[in-house]
Amino acid sequence: MDLSPRHEVEKPGELRQKVHRNRRRAVLAATVVLIAAAAFVTAQGLRNATLFFRNVDEAVEQRPELGDRRFRLQGRVVPASVDSESGVTTFQIVHGCVVASVRHTADPPALFASPWIPVVLEGEWVLSKVQTFAGIDTHYFLSDRMLVKHTNEYASVNEQRVSEKLPQGFFNDCPFEVPAADS
Amino acid sequence: MSEVTTVATGWGLSFVVVATYALWVVGRGKTIGRELGIGGREKLEPESDSSKPADS
Amino acid sequence: MTQVPDSRHMTATTATRVLGTVALVAVVLMGLLGLVVSPADVVQGQAVRMLYLHVPSIWIAYGAFVLTSFSSALFLFRSRHRHDGGRHHDRLAGSAAEVGVVFAGVTLVTGMLWGRVTWGTYWQWDARLTTTVLLFVTYLGYLALRRLPADPVIRGRRAAVMALISFVNVPIVHFSVDWWRTLHQKASLSVGRRPEITGEMYWTLLYSTLAVTIVASWLIVHRYRVIRLEELRDEEALEALIASRLREDEAQA
Repeated sequence: MDLSPRHEVEKPGELRQKVHRNRRRAVLAATVVLIAAAAFVTAQGLRNATLFFRNVDEAVEQRPELGDRRFRLQGRVVPASVDSESGVTTFQIVHGCVVASVRHTADPPALFASPWIPVVLEGEWVLSKVQTFAGIDTHYFLSDRMLVKHTNEYASVNEQRVSEKLPQGFFNDCPFEVPAADS
Repeated sequence: MSEVTTVATGWGLSFVVVATYALWVVGRGKTIGRELGIGGREKLEPESDSSKPADS
Repeated sequence: MTQVPDSRHMTATTATRVLGTVALVAVVLMGLLGLVVSPADVVQGQAVRMLYLHVPSIWIAYGAFVLTSFSSALFLFRSRHRHDGGRHHDRLAGSAAEVGVVFAGVTLVTGMLWGRVTWGTYWQWDARLTTTVLLFVTYLGYLALRRLPADPVIRGRRAAVMALISFVNVPIVHFSVDWWRTLHQKASLSVGRRPEITGEMYWTLLYSTLAVTIVASWLIVHRYRVIRLEELRDEEALEALIASRLREDEAQA
């Protein structure tokens, strides 16, 4: 004989609650996990996203505040400056009429070979006298991580364009000359 | 990973994700329909169904 | 939309069978254009072919989330004028959101693979990537909320409010590349700006968007019908259970 107090469950509302209780717990747990994931993502975003990189001109101006802190540096690679020796790639990047010399100690991504490609480098300023196309500089940028920042321009390989297009007027009013791409 | 491998993986994965979702939706519809007993007409009127193509 | 002829073709009608066939043909043609006919890019090479999946997917996700928000607003503010209590709008909101999440997922996967060969990394927490993954997670949360057992009207209202809140992120995702410095490039196409994309690639991108739209429409219609079937099943199961309990009580009395 079934002695469980089934007759107490009379109202459809109560019955529905009983039927769905386990399912509700599972979904609530999933919701909590999702909210935690959202919070983590937001925290990551707030920490990193708003100033993802500094352009060369800003990073040079902010050298005193930056000191030997790690940050991300953005600029376009001067094609005539690229050189590679025993795992170290040296080159110069330019933005806002300011040039910085770079020593990169890891393998660059494949697209790095494209002339005038914009790159984002992770590393720090190192005190050392170096020669750039713009003159003598007091620091070079020591980088161990490179991200290629490709643009939203797309062109067929069949077209005549062979390199990343420089934005119009990129070197306008710059007090120095930068050699054109070799290719 | 080479460019071609990346493109093949990306297109392949996307196709699998969307196709799996589409099959799940259609399958779920059929399962619930059977549970509800809406499929009764199949037995009653077999001729009327034979001309219909599969779900697409 | 609720006409269901038999169990083998439970969520299909003649119209959706035609739509499904068109979608299949459109996808085959999209593959042909995107993978064979369109040229490689001068800088990115073959990797540019990810464009034809990645960009249409996020546009469809945006479109689906617009539909979810619009339907949710109608459910919240116009439901009392409808004979079904606005449940049509609730179903439409739910089905569009689910399809939107699928395509947001496709956007993330294709974007990560594309990023690996172009940027040199699968993932970076820049503003575009961060807000996109937040969009994905938020709408997953919305779908979880829809599965919480509750009175359909109360559940529909909760979901509709969350849908309207979640939508705030859509313009943030889209404009993040203009508002903040990002590793991600600026929008491939935007209104009032000359596209920086060569003719064949431009038309392949537009065609791919059309093809993905047809696929998404087919999915939304079918998912809508499945939600209707789920509602019917829940109602029937509950009624049967209550009836059996009442009969038991009567027999005991």
